[in-house]
Amino acid sequence: MIKTSLLTKNFQSYKKAPGISGSIKSLFKREYLTKTAVDQFTLEVTKGEIIGLLGPNGAGKTTLMKMFTGIIVPSSGEISIAGHVPSQREKSFRKKIALVMGQKSQLWWDIPAMDSFHLLQKFYEIDKKAFENRLEEMGQLLGVMDLLHIHVRKLSLGERMKLELMASLLHSPEVIFLDEPTIGLDLIAQENIRKFIFEYHKKNNISIILTSHYMADVHALCKRLILIHGGQKAFDGKLSTFEQILGKDKSVSFSFRNEVNDHRVFEQFNPTWSENKTQVDLLIPESELRNFSAQVLRDFPVIDFSTDKMPIEKVMKTLMKNPQILNENL
Amino acid sequence: MTWNIQKWLQTILISWSNFTTYRLNFFLQVIGPGLVFFFIKYNLWSAIYGGNNTIVLGGYTFRSMIQYHGWSMIVLLLCQGMTANNLSEDIRMGRISNYLIYPMNFWEFHTAAFIAFEFLQLFICAVTIGLIGFTSLLGPIHFEVLINAFCYCIFVSIFWFAIQYLTGIIAFWLEETWTLRVIFSIISGFLSGAIIPLELFPTKLVEVLSYTPFPYLTYYPVKMFMGEVGFFPKGYLILGVWLAVIIIINKIVWRKGIKMYTAAGM
Repeated sequence: MIKTSLLTKNFQSYKKAPGISGSIKSLFKREYLTKTAVDQFTLEVTKGEIIGLLGPNGAGKTTLMKMFTGIIVPSSGEISIAGHVPSQREKSFRKKIALVMGQKSQLWWDIPAMDSFHLLQKFYEIDKKAFENRLEEMGQLLGVMDLLHIHVRKLSLGERMKLELMASLLHSPEVIFLDEPTIGLDLIAQENIRKFIFEYHKKNNISIILTSHYMADVHALCKRLILIHGGQKAFDGKLSTFEQILGKDKSVSFSFRNEVNDHRVFEQFNPTWSENKTQVDLLIPESELRNFSAQVLRDFPVIDFSTDKMPIEKVMKTLMKNPQILNENL
Repeated sequence: MTWNIQKWLQTILISWSNFTTYRLNFFLQVIGPGLVFFFIKYNLWSAIYGGNNTIVLGGYTFRSMIQYHGWSMIVLLLCQGMTANNLSEDIRMGRISNYLIYPMNFWEFHTAAFIAFEFLQLFICAVTIGLIGFTSLLGPIHFEVLINAFCYCIFVSIFWFAIQYLTGIIAFWLEETWTLRVIFSIISGFLSGAIIPLELFPTKLVEVLSYTPFPYLTYYPVKMFMGEVGFFPKGYLILGVWLAVIIIINKIVWRKGIKMYTAAGM
C-alpha cells in the first residue's frame, strides 16, 4: 500500500547574521545551507496496518508525511502510495488519501462544519446517499451531531478535532496520515479520538500512519513502530520489540511509609532512590519479579508499588537522550 | 449536473458565506478604497478647475471630468475589488497544503471565489449606480450602454484577477507580495487613465500605451459607461492577448513554485 525506497529530502536555506548589517549583507551575498531532513528512508506498509512514526522534534516525521501526501516533492528516491506517485498529485490519488493535522485546521474557520462537509462532498464526488450515511455513522460515533451547524471558530479544540477527523474520512480514504491528531487535547478527548480511530480502523481495514508525541496514542493503536532520528530510520519493528530495547527487565517502583535505611537488598536491581529515601525505582528481571516483590512487601513498610505500564515511554525518553543506544542494541 | 459544475457552484456558495461573515468589513473593504480615491480626485480636479465651468481641459469641462471620475470609481469597484492577499497568505502560511490534498486545485478554488466575489460586486455596483444615478454626477444613464460596459468590465476583472493571482503566487519566492500589488496598482492607476484621462497625455505616449493593457483597464471602460465608445472588439482582443500571456506566466510560476514549496508552518 505504501512503499518508499531511499527517499531523501534536502531543504535549502541561507545563513543570516543578526542585526541590520546582517540583513544588508544577506541581500548581496548569501551563504546557502543544505539540510537533509529525510535521508534514504525505505519503508513498506501493507494494507490494514497502523504504523506509529516516532521521533523527536525536527527528526523528519512531518517532512515524510508531506512527501507521502504529495505536498512536497522528494529530492531523490522513490515513493508509491496506493499505486500512485504522490508528487504527481493526480485527482484519483487525492481521493484515496486523507491527512489530518492536529496543529492545522483544514475546516473553513468562518462557516459551520456542515458547510465544509458539503463542499468536501462535491470535491470528492461522494454520492448524496453515501455522504449522508457516512455523516450519520461518524457523527454518532464521535458524538458531534449537534456541533455540525456551529461556526468552527466557536468550537473547542477537542470538538474541532473530531470534526477535522470526520472531514478527512468522509470520502472513505484507503490510506490515512494522522499527524499528531491528539496534540493539545485533554486526556478524555485524547482517549475519545483514539477510540474512534481504533474502531474506524477495525471496521474499514485501512492503512494508517500516525505520528504522535503521546506514547499512549501509539500504545493504543500501533502494533508496528518506526523510529526516525536525524532523518534516518533508526528502528522498524514490533511495539513489543521496541519496549525491550533497554532489556527485558521490568521497571518496578516501591513507596514506603518511612525512610528506608538498609538498602542492601535493593542493590542488585540498579536502584534509583528518591531524595527522602521513601521511594525506589528498580529494574528487576522478569524471572525474579514475583519472589523479590513478595520479599519486599513482607519485610518493608510498603504503602504502594507499581510496575511500569508503559515501558515505551521510558524507552523513548532514554533513546531521545542517548540515541547511540539503538546502535548498541540492534 | 456534472460533479465539476457542482464543485464550482458549492465553492461559490461557500465563498459567499465567507465574504459576508464579516459584513461591515466586507463593505468597507470593497467600497472604501474606491470612494476615498474618488474624493481625492474630486478635490484635485476642483482645485485645478477652480470652480470655473467654462474651462475645457483636453475636451473635459469640470462637470464631464467629475463624471469621468464617477464612472472610473464604478470601474474600479467592478474590476479591481478582488485582492490576492489571502492567496499569498495561503502560500506563506502553508495553507495551500489543503488544496494540494483536496481533489480541487488551488487555482480552481480561488477562481470560483473570484466569480462569487464578482457577482457580489455586480450587485453592489448596480446599487451604487442606482443611488448615484439620481444625482447628475454620472450623467444620463442608458440601459444598453450599461450592459455593454458591464460585459466589458467583467472581462477586465478577469484580467485583473489573473494579475492578482500572479502577484499572489510570487509568494513562493517573495515573503511579502503586497508591495508588488501596490506598485502595480499605482503604475496602472496612472497609465490606465484612472487619475488623469488619456486625452491629457502626450499623443506619442498614448500610442505606445495602446499596445499595453493599461488604457483598456480604466479609460475605455469609463468611456463605454459614458456612452462615447460602443462595443469594443479592439479592447477585448488586446486585453485577451495579454490575458493569455499572464495565464501562461501563471502556469510557469506555479509549476516552478510548487516544486520548491516546503509547506513551512504546517
